[in-house]
Amino acid sequence: MSASTGRARSWAARLHLPTLAALLVVLGAWAVLSWRYGAYVLPSPLAVVAGLGEIVRTGEVWTHTGASLYRILVGFGAAVALALAMGLAAFLSRLARGVVHDALAVLNSTSVFVWIVISIIWFGLSNWAPIFTTLMITLPVVASNIVEGVENVDRRLLEMGDVYRLSGHQKFAAIVVPSTLPYLVAGMKIGFGLALKVSVVAEIFGVTSGIGYIMNYSREILATQMVFVWALVMILVMMLVDKLVFDAVSRRLARWR
Amino acid sequence: MKLLVAGVGKDYLIPVIDSVSFHAEAGEFVCLLGPNGCGKTTLLRIVGGLEPATRGAVLLDDQPVVAGDAHTRRVGVVFQEDRLLPWMTLEQNVALVLRPLGLPAADRRAVARRHLRLAGLAGFEDYHPGRVSGGMRQRAAIARALAIEPDVLLMDEPFGALDAQNRRIMQNEVRRIWQETGRTILFVTHSIEEAVAVGTVLVMLSARPSRVRALIRNDVRAARAALIEDLNTMIMEEVERQQGGASA
Ligand SMILES: Nc1ncnc2c1ncn2[C@@H]1O[C@H](COP(=O)(O)OP(=O)(O)O)[C@@H](O)[C@H]1O
Ligand SMILES: [Mg+2]
Repeated sequence: MSASTGRARSWAARLHLPTLAALLVVLGAWAVLSWRYGAYVLPSPLAVVAGLGEIVRTGEVWTHTGASLYRILVGFGAAVALALAMGLAAFLSRLARGVVHDALAVLNSTSVFVWIVISIIWFGLSNWAPIFTTLMITLPVVASNIVEGVENVDRRLLEMGDVYRLSGHQKFAAIVVPSTLPYLVAGMKIGFGLALKVSVVAEIFGVTSGIGYIMNYSREILATQMVFVWALVMILVMMLVDKLVFDAVSRRLARWR
Repeated sequence: MKLLVAGVGKDYLIPVIDSVSFHAEAGEFVCLLGPNGCGKTTLLRIVGGLEPATRGAVLLDDQPVVAGDAHTRRVGVVFQEDRLLPWMTLEQNVALVLRPLGLPAADRRAVARRHLRLAGLAGFEDYHPGRVSGGMRQRAAIARALAIEPDVLLMDEPFGALDAQNRRIMQNEVRRIWQETGRTILFVTHSIEEAVAVGTVLVMLSARPSRVRALIRNDVRAARAALIEDLNTMIMEEVERQQGGASA
């Protein structure tokens, strides 16, 4: 009997049944509050579902999600490339390591708003403003992780490489890269989440596409239910990328453990 | 390779090695004994060029060993820990150190597999180090050191993690390879029995700061090894002669 209840419990956990139950309670409360305060303040769950169905049908969901993802990929991609260069510099030179550390400390302490304002001044009302903001915000996150990874390479393994006269390139490929990879993936995972959140904020200013733009626009035309719909889209995109990309990569990296 | 350790000393915050001198002809099996913390590992690292000496010099075939300098010697080191790359299979770990020797990939694989088999790891070539026991990891590290056919083989308590049976097997293996190839071996061990059984020269270090407490030539062993080598050479000559005669 205890075996069968144990199995039932594990099935329940796998289907996230407790979470679904909690969700039902929240949806119930949401419906009640919506009825009490009106659709402008809090649209009903049904209105949100209907809105989602509509933007999927019209294809609007792809236009704006695509526009946002494009900016994220360019800005975040540039951040990863720059972070890799910083990690390499930190690996090759002690001097560069100090400079990189200080630069990251400064970048880490800079607010999103600073970059939004500066990027509008520099790039005007264009695609480049959210791209640049995304770059500057995700760079320190990804780079800090890579530099930490580079610094945590096991010296004893590098010494083994020296004993067997591996070239610098061989040591880099066989020892440094594999031991830094988990740090890079962890940094990219956090960085991508941040990129989505930040680029959407930057889209409020000066562009005419993207999830951030359309959310703000929906607010202006008093279509509150669409604000909720686009928030939902954002959450779904984040969870999907996490599951499909980062979980798969992490699992592949952990193969030898 | 001929090994000469001349007045080598090492100070960290405290003096660890005062002054140690000994020499070994090519093909000798030097066992380094001494209490814990007397500087055996440190001395091994100095000989391997991983650590500069504070005083004195190490010569291999009359060439000074300079820590951190590029050289063309083949030095195999078995550290106290296995130092295998966890993300590579055992075979890839051994094959990796063959790359600087310029072997083509297929040969690297073959050599790696042969040495893993000698170390009793046949069938485990595609395992990652995390999936095999500590003793097997240590044997893979030994296979790696032997695979490069080292001029000098440095071993730091290499059998410490092995159980009695595998210890005996690996002792025999190292001894066999030493007899067949005439490599110079510097071997740190805790076990006096092991040292007497395999060493041709026994170096007993004193407590820190260490000096040579006793230097013993284990001549029976040396004579027997020389005899085996002579007989080996003879039989190889005769085998060649016979094959030459057969084909004529
Ligand atoms: N890199 C180092 N820095 C400072 N002290 C060290 C270092 N390496 C070894 N020592 C010290 O040198 C002494 C001898 O160490 P070691 O050579 O490992 O001894 P053994 O191998 O004979 O047990 C120890 O007291 C150890 O703490
Ligand atoms: Mg030691």
